[in-house]
Amino acid sequence: MATNTANPLATDFELDLDGPLTSYWLALLRVITGWWFFHSGVTKLVEDGLAYSYGPMYMQEMTGTALGPIPVWMGNNLAWLIAPGVPLFETLIGLALMAGLLTRLASIGGVTFMTLFWIGNAEFGHGLVNSDLMGLLLFMTVLVLGAGRYYGLDAIVEQTKLVQRHPKLRYILG
Amino acid sequence: MTDTTTIVDRIAMGLSGALFVLGIVVMGVLELLAGKPYSPAALTNDAGEVIATPLIDPTLRTGLVIAALVVLAVWGAYKLVTPMAADAADRAETPAD
Repeated sequence: MATNTANPLATDFELDLDGPLTSYWLALLRVITGWWFFHSGVTKLVEDGLAYSYGPMYMQEMTGTALGPIPVWMGNNLAWLIAPGVPLFETLIGLALMAGLLTRLASIGGVTFMTLFWIGNAEFGHGLVNSDLMGLLLFMTVLVLGAGRYYGLDAIVEQTKLVQRHPKLRYILG
Repeated sequence: MTDTTTIVDRIAMGLSGALFVLGIVVMGVLELLAGKPYSPAALTNDAGEVIATPLIDPTLRTGLVIAALVVLAVWGAYKLVTPMAADAADRAETPAD
């Protein structure tokens, strides 16, 4: 691992120098995180289809949180989107992460979901850092590291001429 | 390694990092020092009566973490609408860019 010798506290380092173990672990982390969401989404789809009515109800009960009136408003006014959206987006986010396709875009979705779960579940009996926050941090890690490049389809997509011409697409790939 | 971080990048990383650490760690330490409950949840007895409340409202602490996420989201949006650094386009093989 290369470090900046001028400043011992500097954060610049190159993960690729750590060799295959880093690639293996980032890919595994991505796939397991993806499976977690895929399983959660697809089981809702099997049981409730696109009418997951608990989603809007859950948000309507999110009163007095740091998100203010936003989730309650969403629960009251966007039920038409939330009821099908929760199982559908959980499934798609999971599939995208497992395949390593549009990994960063999917991770943004995962961060959004986990923020709502962390705030909404509010299971702070053993501290603010709980499994919901850990899930949120997992998605952030996959997003920041662009984990789709390791044994994921984004590694191939990023080599296409389209991405070469529009390198900003890597902000949603990787 | 060429350092391509700008002042905006440094502000975004510094501010979001500070908000994360303040909300999760610093306020967590304050709660520990303040005594029970050691977690941001009210302590109840067997009858369900609240016998101790957290020093810091969890809404404030979670709000700080949300603010950190918002800073990162705004930073990402900013990166999308501003031109990329000249050598950034060649960094596809670099894990964290």
